[in-house]
Amino acid sequence: MEIAPSAVQDEAREQVEEEALEALVGQYASTLYRVAFSILRNPSDAEDAVQEAFLRVLRHRDTLGEIRDHRVWLIRIVWNIVLDRKRRAKTRPETDDVAELARVLPAHGLSAEQRAAAAQNHAHVLACVDQLPAKEREVMVLSAFEELTSVEIASVLGITESSVRSRLFRARNLMADLLNHSRSLR
Amino acid sequence: MNSHPHNTFDSHTGSGSGSGEAETTLRLIAGLPAPEGLEERVKAGLHQTLHQAPRSASLLRWPLATRLDPTRSGSTGAGWMNSNWARSAAAAAIVFVVAGGGWEVYSRIQPAQEPKAIALPPVAAHGGFSSANAIRTPKTLNGAVLTHPLADAVAGKKRPDSAKKPVKKAKAEAAKPVAAP
Repeated sequence: MEIAPSAVQDEAREQVEEEALEALVGQYASTLYRVAFSILRNPSDAEDAVQEAFLRVLRHRDTLGEIRDHRVWLIRIVWNIVLDRKRRAKTRPETDDVAELARVLPAHGLSAEQRAAAAQNHAHVLACVDQLPAKEREVMVLSAFEELTSVEIASVLGITESSVRSRLFRARNLMADLLNHSRSLR
Repeated sequence: MNSHPHNTFDSHTGSGSGSGEAETTLRLIAGLPAPEGLEERVKAGLHQTLHQAPRSASLLRWPLATRLDPTRSGSTGAGWMNSNWARSAAAAAIVFVVAGGGWEVYSRIQPAQEPKAIALPPVAAHGGFSSANAIRTPKTLNGAVLTHPLADAVAGKKRPDSAKKPVKKAKAEAAKPVAAP
């Protein structure tokens, strides 16, 4: 039986696309996971989000050649996925963050008590971050990624670079107020 | 910690210890390593999806489209339909047909014509004041003049109104007091 040349070409093209996709996974899966974890703060949820992001890429793999910056494009995809999941999920209790942070934070020679206290402090800060308005919070969370420039953050969020800067400025002021207020109540 | 020259956190001047603390926490979270084996799991998931479901066609692959492809005659792969130029031309043709149809329908429907003559209200003949709906009535005619004696003309019949008046006048004159000579 003779195999049609088009079938061979299709298979070859699919092979190339699959390899390109695997290369993207190898290159950016870690970054996407960290972005997802910074919002969801749950390892399994973050991994699910990364998986879903690459599944979306798989569905639109025909357009891969048209993408200029794959990293920003992928971060944008995973960012939309995690925001959607966060919106649907219930508010995460602070105790969950404390437990998770105590587990994942690097020890650096700290005692168990110091580590627990650090985890509690970080969880409290994260709870205050959650109280920020969505626009300011998103910019603040993305700005924490050292590999992202303000232009790239603007591209992920679909806003201008000046908006990124002004939102970050507002976020910092609000954050300082929130933390000072919560400390005065303690 | 942040080494990127254009990151917004680098230009942070600090608006208080609170925000700095928040940024430290967020950087700590952002810098957490991904779990081991993440890439393999994602790749396995993709591989499974790729080989389970058939490739979803993003374009309609008509037999005509493949048959007209000179380079890939008889093939089932993408033909001229994959060309951006051909797709744009097809989209433009569809838009042209739809717009043309719409225009044809629109041009056939004619709006109701407005009357060419407009009836104006009557204007007073001599200008100035209008009649204001006043009805002109002619001056009352004189009553009928009795030429024959009443008894001969309408004996036994009802007398006309004009015949009553002289009688009434006569009675009224009779009732008047007689003036002294």
